[in-house]
Amino acid sequence: MSKPSPEVYEQGRGMDAHNQVMRELRAEKGNKEYDPHEPTRVWLDEDNTPDGVYQSLTIILNTGGCRWARAGGCTMCGYVAESVEGGSVGHDALMDQIQACLDHEAEEADDESGLVKIYTSGSFLDEREVPAETRQAIADVFADRERIVVESLPDFVEAERVSDFTDVGLETDVAVGLETATDRVRHDCVNKYFDFADFEDAAREARSVGAGIKAYLLMKPPFLSESEAVADMKDSIARCAAVEGCHTVSMNPTNVQRYTMVDQLHFRGGYRPPWLWSVAEVLEDTADEDVIVVSDPVGNGSDRGPHNCGECDDLVYEAIKDFDLRQDPSVFDEVSCECEATHEVVLERETSYNLPLAE
Amino acid sequence: MTDYFEVHRRDAAARIGELRLADPVTTPCLADDVVTDAGSLWNAEREVPEGDESRVTILPHRGFPRGTAAEVQESFAVEHPDVDYPSGAVVSPDTAANHGADVYVVSGAPGFVGHASSFRDAVIDVREAVPDDTALYLSGVATPSNVATLVSAGVDLVDGDRAVVRGTQGRYLTTEGEHDLADLDELPCACPACQQPLAEFDREDCVEHNVNALEAELARVRGRIRQGRLRDYVEGQARHEAWTTAAFREFDQQWGYVEERTPVERDSLLLAASEDTLRRVEIQRFAERVTARYTPRLDDYPLLLVPCSARKPYSDSQSHRQFQDAASYRGHVVSMTSPIGVVPTELELTYPAQHYDSVVTGRWTENELDFVTSVLERYLDRTDYPRIVAHVPDEGYREIVERATAGRDIPVTYTVEDHPTTDESLGELNAALQGEDQIWVQEREAATLRAVADYQFGEGAGDVLFAPDDFELQGRYPKLQALDGDGEQLAALVPQYGTLSLSLAGARKWAASDVPTKRVEIDSFVPRGNVLAPGVVEADDAIRPGDEVVVEGPAAFAVGRATVHGSAMADATRGVVVDVRHSEET
Repeated sequence: MSKPSPEVYEQGRGMDAHNQVMRELRAEKGNKEYDPHEPTRVWLDEDNTPDGVYQSLTIILNTGGCRWARAGGCTMCGYVAESVEGGSVGHDALMDQIQACLDHEAEEADDESGLVKIYTSGSFLDEREVPAETRQAIADVFADRERIVVESLPDFVEAERVSDFTDVGLETDVAVGLETATDRVRHDCVNKYFDFADFEDAAREARSVGAGIKAYLLMKPPFLSESEAVADMKDSIARCAAVEGCHTVSMNPTNVQRYTMVDQLHFRGGYRPPWLWSVAEVLEDTADEDVIVVSDPVGNGSDRGPHNCGECDDLVYEAIKDFDLRQDPSVFDEVSCECEATHEVVLERETSYNLPLAE
Repeated sequence: MTDYFEVHRRDAAARIGELRLADPVTTPCLADDVVTDAGSLWNAEREVPEGDESRVTILPHRGFPRGTAAEVQESFAVEHPDVDYPSGAVVSPDTAANHGADVYVVSGAPGFVGHASSFRDAVIDVREAVPDDTALYLSGVATPSNVATLVSAGVDLVDGDRAVVRGTQGRYLTTEGEHDLADLDELPCACPACQQPLAEFDREDCVEHNVNALEAELARVRGRIRQGRLRDYVEGQARHEAWTTAAFREFDQQWGYVEERTPVERDSLLLAASEDTLRRVEIQRFAERVTARYTPRLDDYPLLLVPCSARKPYSDSQSHRQFQDAASYRGHVVSMTSPIGVVPTELELTYPAQHYDSVVTGRWTENELDFVTSVLERYLDRTDYPRIVAHVPDEGYREIVERATAGRDIPVTYTVEDHPTTDESLGELNAALQGEDQIWVQEREAATLRAVADYQFGEGAGDVLFAPDDFELQGRYPKLQALDGDGEQLAALVPQYGTLSLSLAGARKWAASDVPTKRVEIDSFVPRGNVLAPGVVEADDAIRPGDEVVVEGPAAFAVGRATVHGSAMADATRGVVVDVRHSEET
């Protein structure tokens, strides 16, 4: 932005307010110490990639957490406190975490996973979180795998950092929590500070060393009606597909995490997670876009996660998982429920001032 | 400026209004086909919409769902453009302010409707922050069972959203709650959607029925407002749901908000069919005025306590005629009644003493006993009767008299053996008043005019406006008139309300006296028939709907009846605020 405008001022004030509220909410959680030698979480799954479906090893590294979250952070994100006190984890401890993940994989699976995904609830490519030395060491550990995904905010996506992985022969993707292609929604509803242009820059950096980009989108941030959320996702997916190097979009329906602004709204009756029908509609509608779109609804079927009427939630969830792997929208023709009519009415009638219109 | 909404009728906080669109719309009603949403500012910048006279345009908005932190609301506040077409502004209970809109949409209603105290706070916060003559719109919440409560709190617009959603979920809505379609054995409704066998009735039909039921209930509610009897209805209907019952009780605790809007007179029935009636403004106000404003003028005579009668005014009833035949006006008649408390005979016409009906079983609840006892105690505190003749039956009445007189140095004679109208009881009454002086009709009627003046204008008003040395009485009860010493009329008692209508001379006397005068200051014109809102410069906040008011301006002096409370008069941009009775150029 070259010169100040009321809009800039307003966004600044909005961010201050969001951050202040989020800090207060996070403070309620209190401090809990985490062992810096253990990963936050690790699990095995199956994932669809441009090269087909792989067994995947997903690692949530405990790096001391997200710098942005400590300033306040995103309205829906409860991950900040899954961090160590003091905020910094050293090289040896991080490598201990990686070893723990390898042990977990050896225990749980017959084969090594072709795909490794490393998240930090922050930015893996931020050298204040993961030092260059550690990044290079981790690249070496997984050099014999096929693909790797590392999470980062766009600011830290630099060619020489990404090349640590491409140089050892890994098909590399940088996962960016874009949340939405609409800057206004990302700023005001999610409280994320960067712009879509930064995402495009990050994609260029990654591509320059042969890496790809995986965009994470947030379906239904707070303050949006169901139809606004659906429209925002359809538009965002189309815009991501148009970014060279962005080959996959992971669209994540908001779930209500503790000690977040979304939780505060939900508790007072001012937020409902998206309908699984909305997820299905977006996937079906964007199936023709030149990008893989997947969605992994967390907490589906519960009041705090994406849900329908309670009768059909499991079925629709299964259809979404099937679409994730096969990208065939006809799977959604296989599911139906009386609550589709309610969802239709909600799409038609819900607004920012009367939400949530249905349970 | 609220060019496009006008309030035509009021029943306490509820109103009949008109959205002055190309095709005018009467409120309270469904807003579905009346509003156009110009969209949210959360996800996009928006141009100032075109707008037109056929619909209310909801200006670009940021809704704040319930639970939105105050800082966030402040930071994301929206600038509302000034437009010259019917417009609605989205506000929240925390940030509501006058934005010059005709309609105020309260965001987050699904979060607070269903929680009585939050609902109360939200409605009052918004209602008191925006001009009175603007419409209040709650979106996404109305059902046949809650809409009477919503409207009685001061809501003018709702929509079919919730009824439609529930229909799609197979929930069949009625004024007494909601039912799972699967649980119904028959369709308890005669609307067009329900004119088919239950087996063929599907969720689409259920949507249609729900909206029909909501429309019908809104029509019923509008009718009740026109009759001035919405409260009686809500006291019964709201009981089908816990939260609506709690909601109207919460409003009963909001004395300031409800009292200000409750008329001081009506000519419609007030039905006291539940204990909640005791907490109505009309009831509390009567008790308060009888025990704080009313000056006893007949307490040189014995106090003759009698039970109320079903027929009103009491003196027209057979039982009270029998009492008076026996007592021959040798005592000051004060009727005891639940829920009003005590009614001195001078105030038997005054709203709501002449207008209520109650459920009589002879069994009093503890709350009724407490209430009437406390009113009688406060009444006795301010009077100085030589003795009491209590011509009251055992059921409740006697206990109240015993409780209220316990510890007082005043003799009480009980004259009812079994029933007050038996020959034996009436004989006892006659005997008990043996040797007492009779209150002459002139004295009674003069006391009546003064008592009504006290009640209506304030403590001591009767003796100031109708000072014994400058007063003549004219007419036959109840059509009494007060004249001054020169024979000029000051006031007339209006039999159907039991209030005084002042003449210009009476109004001048009031305005010149120390009795607090309720004034409406107007621009330079001479009002004929009525005063319209734009003519008002200032109005006394103490003015209540139905109050006698003095209207003054550079060019005129007038007297009339307020149609609306004072603070709303000053706010209003349209419509009649005072019905002028007499005016003159000055």
